Amino acid sequence: MNGNGILFHAKHAFMPNLLGYCGPDERGRIQQELEGGKPGESLVRTLEKFEAAYPFLKLIARGAGREVFDYAVPEAYWIGNGLLAEVPASEFYTFSHRELKGRDPRKVREVFKELDGAAPPHHSFYVMSTFATSSVPDGPNITNEAHRKIAELVDNCRISWGTVKKVGKQELQVESRPLKAEDGRLALATPAIRQVKYNPGVRPFASVKRGDVVSLHWNYACDVLTPRQSTNIAKYTAADLGLINRFLASKHSRK
Amino acid sequence: MCVTRAGKAVSVSKGRARVEFFDGRAMDDVDVSIVNAKKGEFVEVFGNMALSVLTASEARARKKVWGEVQRAAAIQTVGAPRG
Repeated sequence: MNGNGILFHAKHAFMPNLLGYCGPDERGRIQQELEGGKPGESLVRTLEKFEAAYPFLKLIARGAGREVFDYAVPEAYWIGNGLLAEVPASEFYTFSHRELKGRDPRKVREVFKELDGAAPPHHSFYVMSTFATSSVPDGPNITNEAHRKIAELVDNCRISWGTVKKVGKQELQVESRPLKAEDGRLALATPAIRQVKYNPGVRPFASVKRGDVVSLHWNYACDVLTPRQSTNIAKYTAADLGLINRFLASKHSRK
Repeated sequence: MCVTRAGKAVSVSKGRARVEFFDGRAMDDVDVSIVNAKKGEFVEVFGNMALSVLTASEARARKKVWGEVQRAAAIQTVGAPRG
């Protein structure tokens, strides 16, 4: 059993589960196992019940010839790494139709057709594509307030990252670049300071310090990133934004 | 990670709704203000926000997909039926 991969995955899946947006109602178990630092089979069983995240890990693992909780697999999904390129586009397309719960098959086809095989099985891409294929981006009377709400939703749901500026007991002050929705496009705004929650009982947060880069999900600091991971999350997020904006531009031009 | 879920807005007040999803779950306090959903309409929800209002035929199709996915998941869990 790959403990590090399981913990890395659980850290990033924890907050949307706590909020009731994905996975089984077993939030207490996830937190307990994260704090214990030694994941057991029960945590694996819990993580297998996530309707979207776990199927994505299986897809990446199949494509890359790895075990599902090999550290590089959840890292590819949440942060981004070279394993994403090892998943054939045709497999991702089939997976999106047959294994991914909740997606409208017509919208999946729309994205894959426009992006011609470039869609990656990366979490942030999934989040942004959900926004891009919804009826909201081309609503006739969308207000600035609606733009703000949508950007906040997508920003919270993607994995973002921030540099720690100040460490509190339960909160970190971080500098990060929020997402903005403007003129039918998504982009990263200028850096801003924000407060996020963290759990000092989850390793390595007992020793988190100013200057560390942390991954963020729903205003929660999930993990402290290595320099390689910090570079990768920026790189893969930029690629996701490029693809989504290409899709949105095409969608608008067809109208 | 958030799952996109489709369901029915069973009550709406001041842009917030209780939505009963096709997968049997329900969520209170869904923000339906952006799509201006009304009571009884079908919506697609991501996180805690409705991003689309579905037509009745779209909703039926989504419900059917959910049923198929649930059946496939059950077969994976307990094994394919014999005969």
